[in-house]
Amino acid sequence: MITRSQILVLILNRLKSLGVELHKPALVEATEQTRLFGDKADLDSMGLVTLIADLEYDLQQNLGRTVSLVDEKAMSRLTSPFRRVDFLTDYLVEVVNQKKP
Amino acid sequence: MPNALITGTSRGLGRALAEKLLSEGWNVWGFSRNASLIKHARFTEQLLDITDESVVQHAVNLLSQNAVTLDLLVNNAGAASMNALLLTPAKTAEALMRLNYLGSFHTLQAVGKLMVRQRRGLIINITTVAVPLALVGEAAYVASKAAVDALTKVAAQELQPQGITVIGMGFGPVDTDLTKAVGKEKLALINQRIGRPDGTTLHEAVDFIFEKLNSKTLATGHLYYLGKIP
Repeated sequence: MITRSQILVLILNRLKSLGVELHKPALVEATEQTRLFGDKADLDSMGLVTLIADLEYDLQQNLGRTVSLVDEKAMSRLTSPFRRVDFLTDYLVEVVNQKKP
Repeated sequence: MPNALITGTSRGLGRALAEKLLSEGWNVWGFSRNASLIKHARFTEQLLDITDESVVQHAVNLLSQNAVTLDLLVNNAGAASMNALLLTPAKTAEALMRLNYLGSFHTLQAVGKLMVRQRRGLIINITTVAVPLALVGEAAYVASKAAVDALTKVAAQELQPQGITVIGMGFGPVDTDLTKAVGKEKLALINQRIGRPDGTTLHEAVDFIFEKLNSKTLATGHLYYLGKIP
């Protein structure tokens, strides 16, 4: 079991690491309102892929089971869960609670 | 010691490559449907079906959970079928696409995520000269391998920013089970077309892969062929 606040911490920690790696201070100081992907966002598509790969691993380590964040329309739909940190947090809560292979 | 994952290690090129890597000090993991005859302290085999996405993902996750890093993935597992296009059963075409293309896709995706986290890695997708030669009588096989070539080129671009190199390596008929069903005359014709009249031995194919492994100038997204492609 993992709570929403724990998932948020995982995301913010990964963004902090990515911010250091990519020299983007906004990611180091990320909050729930930080935009991840799209206009005025600090991650490009490749940065987002990195974040997703890292978070899949974190969730698997926490839950002890396979978690897949593959989403058919994630990169294109207007309400993409990857647009903002809070959207992503809610999406991950949904994934870990529903998808149990 | 570097670590490699190879699909299709039970026989043929996959087995020969695994044995060569082991002899050079690598740790090798093999994904294969059938047990291989390789017995080595640094060889770990997982019997699985690479066309099953969840099975592949789970197997790669187990490597992650055991803190295994991967320097090299070789998508080698594959099958071929020789038949006239109009006589090829749809099931055959579907099976080849599933194993040759989707098998490579699933493994590349699962290992790609692991390598993205590492920010490094080399992925080799095994392809064939049959694609650029557009070999008659191999439509289903050629189409499935053409899909692998396209996957190689796109994956190379998407993964390059994370320090991952993706290349294709293609061969003419290599002396393996894959080419047993092909007539000698046809094999000779193909070998002539690619400038290798004596054909290609397993040893030569493995040496070619090693030559690229040791190269400092690999061009990501490139398809390297052993032989001349017109």
